[in-house]
Amino acid sequence: MVALARKTLIYEWRRFLPAMLAVGFAGLLQLLQIALVLGIFGSTSLYITGSSADVWIGYPGTQSVGSGRTIDADVESHVLMDPAVQRVEPYIWIDGDWRGPTETGGVSVFVSGIDPRPDGLMFSKALAPDLRTRLAEPGAVVVDRSVLDQLGVDIGHTATINGHQVRVVGISSGLRALGGVNVLCSLDTARQLNDDPTDSGPTYLVAKLRDPTQADAVAARLRGDTAFGPYTTWSASDFASISVRYWLFDTGAGAGVLFLAGIVFLVGAVITSQTLIAAVNGSVREYATLNALGVGVGALRKVVLEQAFWVGALGLLGASALGILLMMLARSQDVPVVLNLPAALACIILVMGLAAVSGLAAMRALRRADPATLLR
Amino acid sequence: MIHPVTATEPMRTPALQADGICKAFVSGHQRTQVLDGLTLNIDAGELTLISGPSGCGKSTLLAVLSGLQKVDSGRVQALGSELGQLDLRALERFRLQHTGFVFQGFNLFPALSAFEQVELPLNHMGLSRDEARRRARSSLEEVGLAHRMRLRPSELSGGEKQRVAIARALAKEPELLFADEPTSALDAANGQMIIDILHRIARTHGTTVLCVSHDPRLVVHADRVLAMEDGRILSDQRPHASLIDNKEIPS
Repeated sequence: MVALARKTLIYEWRRFLPAMLAVGFAGLLQLLQIALVLGIFGSTSLYITGSSADVWIGYPGTQSVGSGRTIDADVESHVLMDPAVQRVEPYIWIDGDWRGPTETGGVSVFVSGIDPRPDGLMFSKALAPDLRTRLAEPGAVVVDRSVLDQLGVDIGHTATINGHQVRVVGISSGLRALGGVNVLCSLDTARQLNDDPTDSGPTYLVAKLRDPTQADAVAARLRGDTAFGPYTTWSASDFASISVRYWLFDTGAGAGVLFLAGIVFLVGAVITSQTLIAAVNGSVREYATLNALGVGVGALRKVVLEQAFWVGALGLLGASALGILLMMLARSQDVPVVLNLPAALACIILVMGLAAVSGLAAMRALRRADPATLLR
Repeated sequence: MIHPVTATEPMRTPALQADGICKAFVSGHQRTQVLDGLTLNIDAGELTLISGPSGCGKSTLLAVLSGLQKVDSGRVQALGSELGQLDLRALERFRLQHTGFVFQGFNLFPALSAFEQVELPLNHMGLSRDEARRRARSSLEEVGLAHRMRLRPSELSGGEKQRVAIARALAKEPELLFADEPTSALDAANGQMIIDILHRIARTHGTTVLCVSHDPRLVVHADRVLAMEDGRILSDQRPHASLIDNKEIPS
């Protein structure tokens, strides 16, 4: 079989280049947008994904990690009674007002009070063990590398949170927060920083299970007991997705993403279909001749669709190469970008869908390939 | 009827029959009657030339006889099939199996080599790959392009391109070959070569060649010359036949 579509694409690559660029840039734009959104909103579940707890216990109806309320500290012993639970530790979340040594004004900070033992569950994946043990010192805090300027401090400096003095004992990375700054300290320090006397218990209890695969079952089992005041339980993965979904959809960011995806699709499809239509028009007499010789319109349509497919595939290839480069650049600059398999698949579907729609539009141009017009 | 070439013409049943065909084009309020009750038989294995001034309807006649256009009224039979009763698909199938076309423009794909141009339509005829390639090679050899078959159209001269177009039609081994002004874009030498090839195709393959042209050089090579004007046949001549064979049709 003579590969008409491919040979034409290679021979007349200049003609198809705008379509490939349009598809490629549409793909790249979409890829980076999704990676950025996942990176930024993924940071709202960092508290969960950066920790090794399997089950989270918190106030009922909590919509994201940052909006928890205190629960009764006695829930801990109740949770520990479950034979599947190996360890439980409290996690205290306090909203604080940071005053740095330099003129930074007030900075809103999210104080995370965690167990500073080397084998603590909270931030076990995000915090180096030596940094963690340094938190045991009263008033010690760890902040992220990316916010040093914002907080106006460096390692060894002192500042105040809610009027209480703290000292920066370490600098971590990958602890960026959305809408504020993460500050890590020990549970004891966190209790000192808390101005509200009514907040006595922990914000969350996090539990490690003997068998992490049982997280859903254990979370369901621990739920529903009200003897120790209101609380509920989630498996870590459920709570992480609740947190991300809250930011993605309840803040309107998700709608923005979908809107932009629609625009990208539309613009890409218009450019690509116009290019493909021009390519069909450029060969319309040849197509008409093939039709005169009895090659069916269906076979000619397949040629156009195949061209659209290759335009999409090549555009995707270019977008992937450039996308990986840009993602690496972003990572090196502490810009939160994350790409997972479903997001990558969504990009591929969008780009190939764009190419397919453009191909279908270009197929209509074949109507002009009427062999009778060749006779005059 | 006695013909000088009777030995090479085994049958005399018409390959194409037109019976009272009418065709009109409407543009705006203007209605132009292009074919007006035309009746015609084209014999198999002959090179028939339709000539006439531009606008006389000769290209429309070709389009109608080859199944590219439908008639308003009348009947067209090609190889015993009633073309008016075939739907679009069936017409495509009929053309695929039985007809070849050569147009004034060569209409070759810029990206394909001469060999691929010829092979491409054969791929759609359900031939094996080897058979398609064998046919492509032999028909390119027949038009004298054996040494040029790997070249693209941009590397071929006008005459060579038209020979590729003829090879593309010829490789299908059609019973009917339609040619529309095949020499008008070519110089004298190349035009002559195309005429010779068309003539030879009719002779050696027994193909019915119907050619529309106002090129006077074609007249001496045609078995039969139909002169058209205003949608009617003015005269019907056989240049090589004895004088008694020539008959004038009163207009």
